[in-house]
Amino acid sequence: MRLRWHGVARRAGAAVVTVLLSVFALTVILPLVWMVLTSFKSSHEIFASPWGLPPAPRWDNYVQAWREAGIAQCFGNSVIVTLATLAALLPIGAMAAYVFARYPFRGARWLFGAFLGGMTFPLFLTIVPLFLLLADLGLSDSLGGLTLVYVAYSLPFTVFVLTGFFRTLPADLLEAAMMDGCGHAAAFWRVMLPLVKPGLVVVGIFNAIGLWNEYPLALVLLSSDEVRTLPLGVANLMMVEHYQSDWGALFAGLVIVMAPVLGLYWAFRDRIHDTMVAGALKG
Amino acid sequence: MAHAVPRRRSEAGRARGVQRGAFVAAFLLPATALYVLFVMWPVAQAFIFSLYRWRGVSMERTFTGLGNFAQLVADPVFLRALSHNLALLFFGGAVILCVAIAVSHAIHTEGRAARALRAVYLFPQVISMVVVAVLWSFVYNPSFGVLNGTLRAAGLGHWALDWLGSSRTALPAVGVVFVWHALGFHIMLLSAGLRTIPVEVTEAAVLDGAAGLQRLRSVTLPMLWPVLRVSMVYLVIGSLNTFALVYLMTVGGPDRSTEVMLTYLYEHGFKHSEFGYATALAVANFGIVMLLSGAVMAAMRRDPTEGSPA
Repeated sequence: MRLRWHGVARRAGAAVVTVLLSVFALTVILPLVWMVLTSFKSSHEIFASPWGLPPAPRWDNYVQAWREAGIAQCFGNSVIVTLATLAALLPIGAMAAYVFARYPFRGARWLFGAFLGGMTFPLFLTIVPLFLLLADLGLSDSLGGLTLVYVAYSLPFTVFVLTGFFRTLPADLLEAAMMDGCGHAAAFWRVMLPLVKPGLVVVGIFNAIGLWNEYPLALVLLSSDEVRTLPLGVANLMMVEHYQSDWGALFAGLVIVMAPVLGLYWAFRDRIHDTMVAGALKG
Repeated sequence: MAHAVPRRRSEAGRARGVQRGAFVAAFLLPATALYVLFVMWPVAQAFIFSLYRWRGVSMERTFTGLGNFAQLVADPVFLRALSHNLALLFFGGAVILCVAIAVSHAIHTEGRAARALRAVYLFPQVISMVVVAVLWSFVYNPSFGVLNGTLRAAGLGHWALDWLGSSRTALPAVGVVFVWHALGFHIMLLSAGLRTIPVEVTEAAVLDGAAGLQRLRSVTLPMLWPVLRVSMVYLVIGSLNTFALVYLMTVGGPDRSTEVMLTYLYEHGFKHSEFGYATALAVANFGIVMLLSGAVMAAMRRDPTEGSPA
């Protein structure tokens, strides 16, 4: 009898836990659902009932955001900056990581430490000097300048993760490649780099998400309308819509910023999760 | 032939050593150059700039030693901003830690729930802070925000406030979003920490009759201590480095009631072009972060339950 009572209590306890967890999950999801719902409503419908379903989805909001509000250009700029950064970051980061993992040299630990130290500097410590430096170099207000800065600030994490991947490769692989007459560089490009492809993929996706979302650096380093990235464009849209009150278009803009990232995250969620944990616990 | 090899090795070996050295240098060069130019050099400059009085885009600057810092300590707005950062840290951090411990503990033993929930709780972490801030400023919107709409629908219309427009409610309202955004990250950390606890330990505790809260106190928390420490350090960093959230939701207002260190820094650096003062603010911010995280690390060096005579 007592045992059975115990079982009931435990099941009730488990039910309470499930309910609480579901409530928690709802608090995460509901604001996002509201955002997507609102992006399909007219301003009038938004005012009339914040939680109501749109009678008919207004795709017009998306057309409006994309064409009239300049989101198309921002989207293009964000794609360019993200891809250009990855195209430079991945080979440069992999080269450094490979040397750190495979070629011990004097001062290697010190230099590696200096790279990892970059993960602890808050961005705002450097933001004023960086702003002035880019002005001196004639790189302010350009996507090229922003890309270079993005590469530099993404290097610490990238080198950290890729070094881990290169360390797992068996040592005799390199020797075998060198025996076959490969030089150091050829062994890297032909043999070792292809073997860390999973690492490149996870680091690439992880960085892509961060770069796509990045706001403070873009805010400080860019000023013209033509070079605005997507986060800047949406933030600007919020200011503009305060006067025009086309809220539907603003919410459509928010969904346009969020959707690609959530899609990428969903496709690689387990690997992204593991990389985040590894990065967070590195200390 | 076999005898000739060792004799020639030194020369060939030296050639190979040079080759290797050249390779190492060439492969490190691009990363190191970019990193030194855009990260290390600005870091070094930050410490130098903070010692100068430097206004406007003119290159004219005068050395003031620690003058900027003296001004900072006496600047009521800076102190107010710092107090808001600390409020986010203590109140927001307390809520985050409690909920994160509870959630990670609850999903630890349930594989299915954990996997389903894990995919969801990181959503706020992967979407842009800009989206988070803009979305929530409309949740709080007094005329069509979903919060007031829900309150009115529930017959609590008199509770419907201008959340971000009133200096009494603005900071707590921002704090809620701070928590909403950061929670997933800390649940992720603590869940990862829980997974490192050997199954035998948990099983032994369960056999001893430790269930629920008791298991939390006797097994989970002590085993989780190192990860909790890391979590606290991230809370310090996150709350003291808040920028986009506040800047986009309230720009520090109304009446500076939500001003934080970095929004104040931005105002000085990029609205007034006071580069010296803004950089001093950045250095102070960095120093406070280091100090507080150091204090957390030191205070939590030892697990309080371990080694106590009881």
